[in-house]
Amino acid sequence: MNLNRRLFVGSLAAAVSGILPTLSFAQAKGTIAIITPSHDNPFFKAEADGAEAKAKELGYEVMVLVHDDDANKQNELFDSAIAAGVKAIILDNAGADASVAAVQKAKDAGIPSFLIDREITATGVAVSQIVSNNYQGAQLGAEEFVKLMGEKGDFAELVGKESDTNAGIRSKGYADVISQYPDLKSLARQTANWSQTEAYTVMESMLQANPSIKGVISGNDTMALGAWAALEAAGRTDVIVVGFDGSNDVRDSILKGGIKATVLQPAFAQAQMAVEQADKVIGGGTTGVDEKQLMDCVLVNADNAAKLETFALKA
Amino acid sequence: MKYLPLALSLVAALALPGCKIVKTVPGAETAAAAAGEAGDDARITALLDKTYDAELLPLIAKGLNVADLRSALATGLDVAGKAHGHEGSGEGAAWNFAVKGEGKVVEANLTSRARKAMVDTDGDGAADLTLQLGPVIKGSSLRDVAPFYKFGDFRDQIEFAKLARALNDKASAALVVPEGDLVGKTVTFNGTVDLKSATDPWLVTVVTFAVAP
Repeated sequence: MNLNRRLFVGSLAAAVSGILPTLSFAQAKGTIAIITPSHDNPFFKAEADGAEAKAKELGYEVMVLVHDDDANKQNELFDSAIAAGVKAIILDNAGADASVAAVQKAKDAGIPSFLIDREITATGVAVSQIVSNNYQGAQLGAEEFVKLMGEKGDFAELVGKESDTNAGIRSKGYADVISQYPDLKSLARQTANWSQTEAYTVMESMLQANPSIKGVISGNDTMALGAWAALEAAGRTDVIVVGFDGSNDVRDSILKGGIKATVLQPAFAQAQMAVEQADKVIGGGTTGVDEKQLMDCVLVNADNAAKLETFALKA
Repeated sequence: MKYLPLALSLVAALALPGCKIVKTVPGAETAAAAAGEAGDDARITALLDKTYDAELLPLIAKGLNVADLRSALATGLDVAGKAHGHEGSGEGAAWNFAVKGEGKVVEANLTSRARKAMVDTDGDGAADLTLQLGPVIKGSSLRDVAPFYKFGDFRDQIEFAKLARALNDKASAALVVPEGDLVGKTVTFNGTVDLKSATDPWLVTVVTFAVAP
């Protein structure tokens, strides 16, 4: 809905300036495309909102698109963005391998891409790849999980979507810390594809097969919320759940004593940084920084959850 | 399910010609493995052999005394960091400082896998920093204190994280923590601390630790 309206406004503006070139004072600096996974996950919505706010602040029109983690759809969106003559693309991609070609296609058309959140498997194709230090963040989450578990007991892990590099990186970060505690035993490890509803079902069956589970460490917040709902339904609110992302929903759960902790990725700030770098490149300059840029994550638990708002910690 | 064999044969059909195109260069596979994740352990071991004793320990040994670092921090974290520390890679990363000191153990947890001693270094009777005594060591300050370990020199965040873990393991393996209670004992230490704000509590990763007789 939003997309249509924005596109319409965008083409209207183009048409007006085409007919009446003297009105060019009304012309913006051009359009920036912001392509992310579905906004159903508030994390991606925060990214899109952050990028949009910064782009408008810098005088750009925006074209906000979602690829729903479908690489084919992403490819079509890139075609539309290229056809629309956007000045830059801000992208949270739909697959580390599958996205390389799309980003290359934009590059060949002279449109720079600035990646956020997820890496792709090639360098030199995108101008920037600004990603959270997922491994560091996962270690923070796992350290808190270990502490909450009292360094022992049976636990399960919910893993994210396999095509997303972050699913594997987080799982490795968790394992790196947890494997140092021999009294912590992993009874089940299963993907729920970042999905809340899928996590609910997976958690139900995990719990039936392994009633001794004392803790669940989840690759993201939406899966943590799904798991927590299943645990509540089963009367197992004694189970310790730790998530990843730092969403407002999990914040609220933490404040109510439900989910115990999550790890904040500064999604909003990250998206804004990408737009600032895009602005520099559109202006004919360089970003002045390396292509691959890391951002540190922050542990969120009952101590600081109240300060969390839309993927940023208030001072 | 019934499409699976078809899909597999398709994959095989697509993959096979690809295999034929690539000429086998002797040693090429091992080179690829060495650059990829499979070669991480070997590369990091080599890096540690080259840098741990020769560069990292001397760098940490040059750290400020606790009191001097605290007064430097009073002028602001960034100022102190630029003068005496090193910033970790990435936006929002901590400043890392080498530090040495002496103090009395006020409290200790030696039953955890991440053993800790809370130490009073200024004689007011209250603990003002915590020493990590392993075997599990948190954080990456041994890596991030050193300007010669750069994120850009590593394949990705996983390999860079493996370096931090290897450094922690190496430091931890060298620590000798005596049997029995530490509380009331005087200890000397040299290590690193990472701070995101000047008022963060100090969690010191130690490379040398000794209990006064």
